[in-house]
Amino acid sequence: MTSVARTVAVPAAQTRRLGAWFRDPWRKPRILAGVTLLYIGWSLLPVAIAVLFSFNAGKSRTVWQGFSTRWYYGDPLRSVWHDPTLHSAVVHTLWLGLLATVITVPLGVAMALGLDRWRGRIPAGANAFVLISFVLPEILLAVALLFVATVLQTPLHLGTVGQVVGLVTYQLSYPVVIVRGRLLTIGKQYEEAAIDLGASPAGAVRRVLVKMLLPAIFASTVLVFADVIDDFVIVRYLSGGASTEPVSVKIYNTARAAPTPALNALATVLLVSSLLVVLLGFLAYRRFTRGERRSIDVFAGEA
Amino acid sequence: MPDRGPRGQRLFWPLLALPGTVWITLLFVAPLYVVLAVLFGGVDPILRQPVPVWDPLQWNFSQFDYVLGHIVGPDGFFGPALVRTAVYVALASGVCLLVAYPVAYYTARFAGRYRGVLLALLIAPFWISYMMRMLAWVNLLQNDGLVNRVLSLGGLYDVHVDWLDGRPVTVVLGLVYGYVPYMVLPLFAGLDRIPAAVQEAARDLGAGRFETFRRVTWPMSRTAVVVSLLVTTLPMLGDYYTNDLLSASPSTSMVGNLINNSVLTPGQTGQAGAFVMLVLLVSIIPMLIYVRATRSGVEVQS
Amino acid sequence: MPPVEHDSFGGRSLFGRPMQRRSFLKAVLAAGAAPGLAELLAACTGSGTGVATTAATPKIPSPSNPVRWPLSAKHPAIKAGLKPKPGSTLRIYNYADYLGPQVIKSFEAKYGVNITVSTFNDEDEALTKIASGGLGLDLYFPSYDSLGKLVGAELVRPLNHAYIGNIANVWPQFHNPWYDLGWRYSVPYSVYTTGIAWRTDMVKEDIASRSNPYDVFWDPKYAGNLAVIDDWHTMMGMVLLRSGIHDINTAKPADIRLMHNQMMDMLSKTHPRVTITMYNDLPAGQYGLAQMWSGDVVNAQYYLPKGQSADVLRYWFPSDGRGMVDNDLMVVLAQGSNPVAAHYFINYMLESKIAAKNFGYIGYQPPQNSINPDELVRDGFLPANLKTATVLPHYFDVGSRLLQLPPKADLAYHQIWQEFKAGA
Repeated sequence: MTSVARTVAVPAAQTRRLGAWFRDPWRKPRILAGVTLLYIGWSLLPVAIAVLFSFNAGKSRTVWQGFSTRWYYGDPLRSVWHDPTLHSAVVHTLWLGLLATVITVPLGVAMALGLDRWRGRIPAGANAFVLISFVLPEILLAVALLFVATVLQTPLHLGTVGQVVGLVTYQLSYPVVIVRGRLLTIGKQYEEAAIDLGASPAGAVRRVLVKMLLPAIFASTVLVFADVIDDFVIVRYLSGGASTEPVSVKIYNTARAAPTPALNALATVLLVSSLLVVLLGFLAYRRFTRGERRSIDVFAGEA
Repeated sequence: MPDRGPRGQRLFWPLLALPGTVWITLLFVAPLYVVLAVLFGGVDPILRQPVPVWDPLQWNFSQFDYVLGHIVGPDGFFGPALVRTAVYVALASGVCLLVAYPVAYYTARFAGRYRGVLLALLIAPFWISYMMRMLAWVNLLQNDGLVNRVLSLGGLYDVHVDWLDGRPVTVVLGLVYGYVPYMVLPLFAGLDRIPAAVQEAARDLGAGRFETFRRVTWPMSRTAVVVSLLVTTLPMLGDYYTNDLLSASPSTSMVGNLINNSVLTPGQTGQAGAFVMLVLLVSIIPMLIYVRATRSGVEVQS
Repeated sequence: MPPVEHDSFGGRSLFGRPMQRRSFLKAVLAAGAAPGLAELLAACTGSGTGVATTAATPKIPSPSNPVRWPLSAKHPAIKAGLKPKPGSTLRIYNYADYLGPQVIKSFEAKYGVNITVSTFNDEDEALTKIASGGLGLDLYFPSYDSLGKLVGAELVRPLNHAYIGNIANVWPQFHNPWYDLGWRYSVPYSVYTTGIAWRTDMVKEDIASRSNPYDVFWDPKYAGNLAVIDDWHTMMGMVLLRSGIHDINTAKPADIRLMHNQMMDMLSKTHPRVTITMYNDLPAGQYGLAQMWSGDVVNAQYYLPKGQSADVLRYWFPSDGRGMVDNDLMVVLAQGSNPVAAHYFINYMLESKIAAKNFGYIGYQPPQNSINPDELVRDGFLPANLKTATVLPHYFDVGSRLLQLPPKADLAYHQIWQEFKAGA
């Protein structure tokens, strides 16, 4: 502190006060706070504007022409409710979300549990591949599965089946990573206590571990669902025609052609559904972890 | 409860992991072989659709040679796109780090009772479709959009910038906007693990703010930085839609565009396979670093 | 029958037939799997089908070489006298915004059939998806340069003319076109020219008054302010026309080399956008100048923002008709499960009233006898400033058509296109 103070030239009183304020290591971090708020604004503002324009009375997406819900319900040809292509996209997206999540989470949780306890080269290899799929550029997996679907005669074909399979494969790493992280924090003592008291490994898992893993399981369910309904690359390559195009593909196709605020409305509908699911997941999490120490960190994918 | 013998107990865990392992093998590892079979295969003469060759002894390397041959040299027209990808991704990752670090640091150390709210706001972009976020930016960047209106200070002077006409700046900033949420969270998790007591001790011992950062915070956050960089950079390598939405010009095309353009073009599907393999090879080492880093990170957790 | 080999994966060719892998591969590779451009140019001598191969090479139709396609044995035409089943689905595969929604709704109402429209961005992508077979599409809107490939790969079903009486409404030259003698597989959908469109408020000069209007795409004055069509053959044809080469399907190595150099030159001089959404972007003001299809520029007037007059749009096409002129088709795909409805739909689209309504929506002129091309402005189909977007029948006699290319030339063109799209 002293050396720093000495190197500062003697300024007028104001600047000295400012300099002292800046150098005080115990002051409130206002600059950092400012940066953070700015970041959050920059991050969410465009989305807020897009949601706002979904209520635009006119056809423009940049010029406000009054408030109206025509793009949601009112317009008989082009609103999300009436335009069959838009509203089938919403239905298909939610359906994909449900299917993919329902398959991924149990598969991933079981895999996390198994890989954690199983020693050997196979589980090490499987673990490495799971981690690799976590950071893999999605287009690599999408192209590989596209080849499988078009070049081989397997049950995996373009359309909902292909999309669900691709999504599960891509998302499997989420529950595995989250649950394993949580397992490490929990440690083995509860399970060992249960086994000492006479439970079989399956029983110990069912009665002890799963309950303790519930926060991680909920977190991964929510994250997988949110990620699946926003997925673009895999579902686009593996789509089988207009009826299997989810919202993200519709937005992409239409954004490059002739977008109307119906697109904003479409994206808003999806945003609201994923927020609802997150809220439900959070409420369920709070209910199941009543009385325990809990933090929202778990929804960030961290234990 | 029936007593399962030790063997039954030992089999229990592998059985749990088996479905997932089988899935990963069949649907992640095996398709990579299909890519190789297409890449080293041929095309049918009428529709020029790919014809895979399964036996490695009969693999035909002409498609792969074609791609490699056109990366550098006088005929090297793939080279610029690959170099561009490396440059854009490096720039975008760098900017992401610059933006994400302070935000993650603030949330981890100083957020106090607003931490939950802040985290929710930081996680929010995950629940908003990437497409919607990009679309929102396309709107703002249009000639009569908000960005130009703000820059021209409400019409005070004319800003002759057409952001969407194929500028690298727009694409790089678009990548930053799209991927920075992926960086904030692992950084937050890693910075959160640095005990505040250590930093306060450094301050007590006389270190200034920057010195504390340089000698205490930064070294302790290195693993987190590496992990979050990888989580952001690697997926960015395959991005093609950001470029498509923000700039329809070939002069900003990335390797993802090369893959996307060739995968459905008759006669060029094998080349798409070559690019896929190239990206995979380039990212194998970083991916292995990631695997190691997460393992060591996870072990550090008490 | 020669013995058939199956490899251990039981892999089959795309057509489901097991193949003799080794000799087939040799044939495939001989037919040209990705050699270098230089070797290709050396092998492309003159304008022929190139090196003969042991595998089937499709016949390439041209105005001087009309082709009558063989009727498919595997997918025969449907029997006469059938009606579409109410409640069934008709799957259409088309460009986006290329079919009027009211037309679709009125057909659905009339016959009780549900229609789904899947879209593609370019024909290459479409062919790949069709070839993969799993989509069950009924109706497809190609141009005639894909017809040979579709027939050769047995992906289309011959038409039963008994269902399509409205063919009488169509211009006579399409009753026996050179690309499909006896109209066995296709009917025409729309006719269009490919020219240059611009906005007078963003481009101050009159492009039409230049001696060679195609030059604007190399004029650095317009860098960043122009777009070319994201279709390899359409864009590359324009490059050839600029240099006065009217054979836009040339396989001459010197021509191809010239085209290659010009395209790279364009990239560095004007870095154009490459897209097919000009009908939206030009009115939105994203650029002021574009290579454009005649139908798109007509359609563009409906995408102008409120308050912007359609007067700013202009279109140029060579007044002597020696530019790019083409027509799109409707074909029935063999993989579909509802060919009867497909036939009814085709007949429906050829009805004069419906064709006119569709014209109003998509902007593309149908070759209907009831629509007088000389009087499109008077009849309200076109604004006066876009009169040049009319397609006159005699254009088809003097204009340049985009034909299917022989395999080696096709490969060379695609490689150049790939290089163009990879950016400089």
